[in-house]
Amino acid sequence: MTNQPIRIGFLGVAHLHSTSYVRSLLAMPGVEVAGMYDGNEALAAEWSERFAVPRYAGAGDLLAAGLDAVVVCSENALHRPYVEQAAGRVKAILCEKPISTTTADAKAMIDICRAAGTKLQIAFPVRFAPSVIELKRQLDAGLLGEVFTVNCTNHGSMPGGWFIDHDLAGGGAVLDHTVHVIDVLRWFWGAEVTEVYAEIGDSLLHPGLGIDDAGLLSFTLSNGIYGTLDTSWSRPPSYTIWGDVKLEILGERGVVYGDTLHQYVSVASNAAGKTRWAGYGSDMDAGLMADFVDMIRTGRDPSITGEDGMAAMQVALAAYESARTGQPVKLANL
Amino acid sequence: MLRIGVIGTGAIAAVHLDGWRQMPGIELVGYYDILPEAAERAAQKYGGRVFGSMDDLFAAVDLVDICSPGTAHKENVLAAAAARKAIICEKPLARHLRDAVEMVETCERAGVPLFPAQVVRFFPMYRAVKDAIDSGAIGAPGVFRSARCGSFPRPGRDFSAPYYADFNQSGGVVLDVAVHDIDFARWCCGDVERVFARGLTFAGRQYQDHALITLRFISGAIGHIEASWSHPRGNFRTRIEVAGDGGLVEWDSLDRPALVAELYDAEQGFRHLGSSPSSVTDEPYYAELAHFVEVVEGRAEPVVTARDGLEAVRVALAAIESMRTGRPITMRDFGG
Repeated sequence: MTNQPIRIGFLGVAHLHSTSYVRSLLAMPGVEVAGMYDGNEALAAEWSERFAVPRYAGAGDLLAAGLDAVVVCSENALHRPYVEQAAGRVKAILCEKPISTTTADAKAMIDICRAAGTKLQIAFPVRFAPSVIELKRQLDAGLLGEVFTVNCTNHGSMPGGWFIDHDLAGGGAVLDHTVHVIDVLRWFWGAEVTEVYAEIGDSLLHPGLGIDDAGLLSFTLSNGIYGTLDTSWSRPPSYTIWGDVKLEILGERGVVYGDTLHQYVSVASNAAGKTRWAGYGSDMDAGLMADFVDMIRTGRDPSITGEDGMAAMQVALAAYESARTGQPVKLANL
Repeated sequence: MLRIGVIGTGAIAAVHLDGWRQMPGIELVGYYDILPEAAERAAQKYGGRVFGSMDDLFAAVDLVDICSPGTAHKENVLAAAAARKAIICEKPLARHLRDAVEMVETCERAGVPLFPAQVVRFFPMYRAVKDAIDSGAIGAPGVFRSARCGSFPRPGRDFSAPYYADFNQSGGVVLDVAVHDIDFARWCCGDVERVFARGLTFAGRQYQDHALITLRFISGAIGHIEASWSHPRGNFRTRIEVAGDGGLVEWDSLDRPALVAELYDAEQGFRHLGSSPSSVTDEPYYAELAHFVEVVEGRAEPVVTARDGLEAVRVALAAIESMRTGRPITMRDFGG
């Protein structure tokens, strides 16, 4: 280990998570956020000024600035070109979820990073929420005995912007909100999703939206557990919080109700015209960033790989396929 | 004064009888049960007399409240219809669709009202959810979610235990429990187009049953219902949420109740006792029975019809069929 700071750049900041990631990195000793680039000049200028991070005129310029790692936090469809540019130029890449919008893109990203010797990690911060870590510990300790089933939600608010542009996002609520929970379930049990059935609503909660904003996935895992996941953008602007990540797990000895964001103070504000839940729980994004920096420092393998990102995304793609055909889809058929 | 007779005097009858006993303007006349000693116990506790046959009971009452096991509903309803009595029938209407159809059509031909006891429509928080939807506060319903999770009906405890454990009699947790939420979902979102379900019903586990049901409504809305007989004994968890294109309404039994007592003593340690009391007339079973009395007396339109009870059974049976086959079931084509 040297005393040199770890230099990290941002390639694309269109995803809102970039603001939380950069705050975490700026607060971290021994880390320098060395620069940023985004193709949207207005966004890049605003973001660069807000976080006092140098702005580069092109992705190539940023990658020529002697970086150890980059965070790719662009629109989903741009993950692949950014990762392809960065592979071989940096030691490590943290790519926002979902890894990409197609299996072909995900495979290309994984392959080029492997060939170039660049570590590729996918950003699934939920694995770093203390209540989720504790839940995994309880499951590993056999708290529930044999597990039968999971009833999960990852609700959200309709994010607007590029998230509802099919070319840039690759899908709506189902792609956006399938991958977090599926990743956590794969991590809990080292199991794969084997079959998916889905009911998906296009413009169901937001008339005229033009993309899916509601989804119910019913799935089986390779360890015999069955479950459901609600991915809907069903939290209206008037609601108390942007969304939720809930995992209800039922086994032979009982049930666990996990509500990852249920650590909040309730703030009633006349200015906001409503009551809002302000979270106080440990910052899972900071946990994700610390893990990424640790990987760069120690040279170990990523805790969440490109293959993990691809597997979670393929469940969402299978859900769309199921909605198209009206039938359950086996994951091996993709 | 409307005269009430009760057929079947088991666990659910006790809940009805608590309501009938407190209701003004009716007369609780008596009971018929194939187990005369059970009817005798009810008479001692709630008043009224024991009848030796259904026909004897029919001759003395205006409204028959059928609280027998689901497997006896058809015989009871057809007999009451032949006697031209108004009928309340516990859910599910029947174990098999053809029986439910025969019951409903027979009552329609006989011109007697048949009220399916879909009591969830009378739970005050569920009524408040429906009122919020009807008020336009959440816009058009888009995503319906509900859960009804308890432990397996106690095996070996009483006459009803083998009934619940025998899928051929009870239809398992979907027909016995999810039928409540299916009915409520139809009330909120309209008729169901398609059903898919996974669960434990055919997993071959004794005293375990559970289902996760997804619904597509004809309106385009989607729905999710969890029903469980595999949750730990000692708690009963229910939850309802409806998201629309203009808002969201939700309620969860895990939320803090209106009254919480926290106690400590050396013998029992710390105890946390929650309750959510309501006035008698807001007790769901009382409210349901009082509503049916009002309808019989011509003072109200029914909030739930025999056809609603029939459709709830049909959707529940479709969910079971989906669980059995692993395929989605289209309601238009489903005949049981």
